[in-house]
Formats: sequence, C-alpha cells, structure tokens
Amino acid sequence: MRWRDYLGLSLRSLRRSKSRTILTVAAIVIGATGITIMLTFVTSLKSFVVQHFTQSGQILQIQVAQGRNLSFSGFTGNNNGPTPGAKVLSAASEAKVAALPHVTSVSATFSQGGYIEYVAFGSKKLQPNIVGYQVNAVIKPQLVAGRDLVPTDRTGAVLLTQDYANAMGFKGTGAGAIGKTIYLHTNYGYSGEGATLPSALPPQHQCAQNQRNCNGGPSSGLPAINLAARVVGIVSKGYANQTIFIPLSWSIAISNQSLPRFNCNQNGCGNNTGGWVTPSVASYIASNGGYNSLVVEVDNSANVPHVATQIRQLGFGAATGLSQMKQQTNAANLIGLALGGLGLIALFIAALGVMNTMVMSVLERTREIGVMRALGARRSTIRRLFTFEALVLGFFGGVFGVLLGSLLLLFAKPILANSMKGTTLPNFTVPIWLIFVVVALTSFIGFISGVLPSRRAARLDPIEALRYE
Amino acid sequence: MPLIQLEKVTKSYQLGDEKFNALDEVSLNVEKGEFLAITGPSGSGKSTLANVISGLDRVSSGRVVVNDRDLSTLSDREISRFRNRTIGFIFQSFNLKADSTALENVTLPLIFLKMSPRERKARATECLAQVGLSDRANHRPSQLSGGQRQRVAIARALAAKPAVLVADEPTGNLDSERGKEILQILQNLNDQGITLLVITHDESVASRANRVVEVRDGRVKDRRQHS
Repeated sequence: MRWRDYLGLSLRSLRRSKSRTILTVAAIVIGATGITIMLTFVTSLKSFVVQHFTQSGQILQIQVAQGRNLSFSGFTGNNNGPTPGAKVLSAASEAKVAALPHVTSVSATFSQGGYIEYVAFGSKKLQPNIVGYQVNAVIKPQLVAGRDLVPTDRTGAVLLTQDYANAMGFKGTGAGAIGKTIYLHTNYGYSGEGATLPSALPPQHQCAQNQRNCNGGPSSGLPAINLAARVVGIVSKGYANQTIFIPLSWSIAISNQSLPRFNCNQNGCGNNTGGWVTPSVASYIASNGGYNSLVVEVDNSANVPHVATQIRQLGFGAATGLSQMKQQTNAANLIGLALGGLGLIALFIAALGVMNTMVMSVLERTREIGVMRALGARRSTIRRLFTFEALVLGFFGGVFGVLLGSLLLLFAKPILANSMKGTTLPNFTVPIWLIFVVVALTSFIGFISGVLPSRRAARLDPIEALRYE
Repeated sequence: MPLIQLEKVTKSYQLGDEKFNALDEVSLNVEKGEFLAITGPSGSGKSTLANVISGLDRVSSGRVVVNDRDLSTLSDREISRFRNRTIGFIFQSFNLKADSTALENVTLPLIFLKMSPRERKARATECLAQVGLSDRANHRPSQLSGGQRQRVAIARALAAKPAVLVADEPTGNLDSERGKEILQILQNLNDQGITLLVITHDESVASRANRVVEVRDGRVKDRRQHS
C-alpha cells in the first residue's frame, strides 16, 4: 500500500469520528501550545541575553574592582570607599592590567560620591546618579537616540538613561532631550568652573585655635553652582536605569573640586588667614579608594577566563561578562526545563488520550479490519494504517499547537510591551526549528501512542474480526 | 489439475478440554469455472470450508492447493497477496465502508494491490458498470438500497480480477426480488469463467449451482452434480 493511501484512509477514518478526533487533537494542541510558548520564551530570553552581551561587547569584558566578591554589572558599579587592605585601583594598576596578554584596552569608571545635589531641567529636580567612564571603544552604552560620548567630550556632555529623560518630561525614547541643556547642581563648597570661594572660612567652619588644617565641607555660606551639561545621547532602559553618564575626567574633576580644604596658618583659622587648597587628582583618587572599576576588554572570549585569573592574581576582584552571560543563560535553561517539563506532562496526558482514541477506534472498526484482511491487507498494512492514524492525530495537534502558541505570543507581545513601557523586551518569535521540533515531537508521541492499539489491530484474527458485531 | 484441491483437510478447535473438528479429513476438488454451492446446517463447518479455501484460516492437517499454490506454506505476506489477487469475497451483510462512496469501496482491494489512483479509479468504474451501478458511484452505502449495496460488494470482489468468488449467504439480507438480481449477476460472472463458491441455506440459490456439496459434522458429501 502506498503512503499516500495510508494518509487518505487515515484522514477518512478520523473524519468519520469528528468529535472524538477534535477532542483528542485538542488535548495535544494544549501540550504543544504550552511547549511552543515556553520554549519560545526561553530561546528568546537566551538569544536576548547573548545578543545584549555580544552587541554591548560585554562578552569580551572583565570588570575589575577592589574586593573579591564582585558581580559583573557592566560599568555602573558603586565605590563605597577603600576596602581596608585592598589594593587601590589607581592609574598604575590600570597600566598593569592593560599590560596583561590578550588585553586590548581598559576603561576606568568613577561614580560621583554625592557632590552633585540634584540634576535640574526646567523646574524638574531629580536625584543624581552620575557615572563617569573613560571614553574609548571598551564601553559602548546601548543608545536609543543620539550619539555616544566621544573623547573630545571633556566636560559639559552627558548621556541620559531613557527613564531619566522620561522623568524630565521627554516621552518615548526621550529623543526630545537631545541637544537640551540640563544642570548638575553642586553641593556647597564647589571650587571649580568659576565658583568663588570666600577669602575667609565662614565662622561656623572655623577650626579650633591650635588646629592647622581643617576641612571646609559643604555648608551654607559656601558657593554651590549649576554645571551646564548638554544631552548628546539617550541610553536604553535595558542597559541602565536612572543614571547620567559623563566623561571620566569630568566626573573626577567635579568630585575633586568639591573638596577644597582651608589651610589655616600657624595662628589657626580664627584670624581669617590662610587659603583654600584643592587636592591633586592623584591624591584625591588615592584617598577615595581609586577608580570604581576598570572595564577590561580581551581580544577573544576564549581568553576571558584566563585574563580574569591573572587579574585576580594581581590582587583585584574580576568578574567577567561571559560568566554573567552564562549564569543568565543557565537560569533561562532552568526555567526552560521546568516549563518544558510541564509541557511534556501535558503531552503525556494527551498521549493517553490518543491511545484511548486508538483503542476505541480498533474496537469500533474490528469488522472493517476483518474485511480489509479478507481483501488482501497484510498484518503490517493494518498495523501501519492505525499507527499512521495516531501519528496524524499527533501531527495535527502539533501544527495547531504551534499556530495557537504563535498567535498567543503575537497577542501577548503588545500587552507586555504596554505594561513594561520603555523596557527592551526579547523578540518572542517562534523559531523555525521549534516549529519542526514541536510538530515532530507531537507526531512521535502520536506514533508511540498508536503502537500498542495498532499491534492489537494487526493481530486480530480475520475470521473473528469478520464475525464481530 | 483442479483449481481448488483439498486433501484430507482437518481443522480442529480446542473447546475447553475437548477437541472439536470443524472439518474432518475433507477432500474436495473444484474445477475452474465451476459454480459450487456449499450447503449444510448451522455449525456444520461450511464457513470453515470456505475460509480454508480462501486463505482466511489455516488447516490443522492436510493440504489446500488453490491455483497451484499450497496455502499452508504461504507466509502472511504471501497469503494476503493470494487473497487479494485470487479470491473475491462477498458477505451476507455487504461489509462496505460507511464513510466511503461506492467507487471508493470498490477501489479498496486495488489499494492493497498498489495500483495507481488513476488505474484503480478506471478499474472500479468498470466493475461498477459490470454490476449496473455506474450512476451510483459517488453514493455512500447509506444512500443505497440493500440490493445496490450487495452489487457494490460484488464489484469490490471483482476489482482485482480474482479467479474465485467466495460468497457467504449473498442473498441472506435481501428480499427475493433483489436476491434474484444478485444471483443473476453471480450467474453471469460464472458464465464468464469465474469460479463461484456460494455458501447458502437457500435451496433456490443452491439450485442454480452446477454442483452442490453438503457439509455435515465436518464432512463433505457431494449432493448433486450437473453438467
């Protein structure tokens, strides 16, 4: 018998018991839909993670900081001051790391330590979270509008994250903020960019008579100014939240110029003698525990673990984008296993349904089997016919399951996007290979479910089958 | 050599502790082109006789040779092929596929013959014409009368051009008029050279045969023979 005839006879038999066929296929559809959605979710999530790490270059990056317990966070790590006994991330340590084999470039980052009181645009005043980074090819923030910082952007140029731009009143991607000037309002005691410090220390800050040096910290009576900054780019919400990115040199300068000291003369500060001194950048960096982090780029992802080990041997903490990516993809795999397991359970139950349908079909068609045997059908023909019928049930269950799953994902996408506005979501599109895998899986399950009933059909004695009422 | 040759054929069944011989050392020859009626009371073994001749059942001992082939030596594949090509079955209750049209029912044995769709459609159309049902080719069994259904069954039996037609009470489910029509069709086929084996209780059917054998307690006795 030809395969086309097996298909024709199977379809005709399935059409005969429409309700039962629909119910059996529906059970498979549920399982197949579940598996389609779950696996699409997991594969999309994984490719989203890999794409994120690859496009941002983080797959090749190592984040270096003080302390051993470090988790990779791109370049937005916090510096909570020097860890006792830890090595300072200085320019010298940057040079050491840069000299390691396979390291192609290094970028330092430095977060503001609270020397900007607020960020202002018009009447809006927002909490500052300012990160400076060394502008080179290592750090590539994901932009949704505008351009990245360039080495010539020494001061006065910033990138805003999308949510920050939104908070300032620029909707959507926040592209409307490009070219606008915002203001970084310093704390009291800022000494840079034309801020004029009083010639004498205000009385409330005067030191005890015998104290030679005393700090002039932020306080009223000392100047606080608005540092103008032009927005050049908007960073994707998925890359970082509530952050303003500025060039590294400017970030250090703002912090450094926020800490002038009033050097008193031998008679103390009471006589208004002495003067303001701003510490050198190097000494400032050293006293503040160095850079927040170094972001190291390696020539090839295969060399990342080795370079990270070498950095740890230098006494720094090192976290790799690669291991972070693996952690995230492993988490996605675990979710996939758990969800896929549920889908498989649903398919197993559906398989029992197929088996039940086929057993009923064999019983109902016993006489027909006898007739077919009398007309020349071999045992193997009967076995194949019933197995094929079960396989067809599985096949259609798979096809409709994939279709339904794709439709649900299609409808879910705008709903998700609407509820998570501004967040870059994975592209939940059913991969082509998954369509084939799900249909092949359900067909196989149909086939397996049909094996026992079809064997039973093939073993029927034709004479007994012909007598069956 | 006879077309069908049975040599000391015994067919036994185990009924609990007892052994029951449905056929008891039966020897019978049927010549090509014969119209043989097999009669006998219920449970006498006439259906078993037809079944072993048509290859539906295996004998316990003895030999069944049909068309020069010893059926006891054939594998499932070979005996299925034998049934497909050599034997045409006609049942009392027609046994048509309810979900298929008359044409599709007739093509069924041709599907097992691996004939191409075009060829089998042509052959099935020819067979339906032979039994006078060309205009009912696309009707389902439920849309046909009893007589028409049996004619479809005859067309199906003829489809693979068998040497022998085995009809089990072919008029049993029909009124006398329709029964006569069916018998006439069978008679015509026999006149064309097809060997006909008819199992029947009906004397009027047996009277049309050129030879009648009676099966009683598993043994066969020639009752009447015409030329």
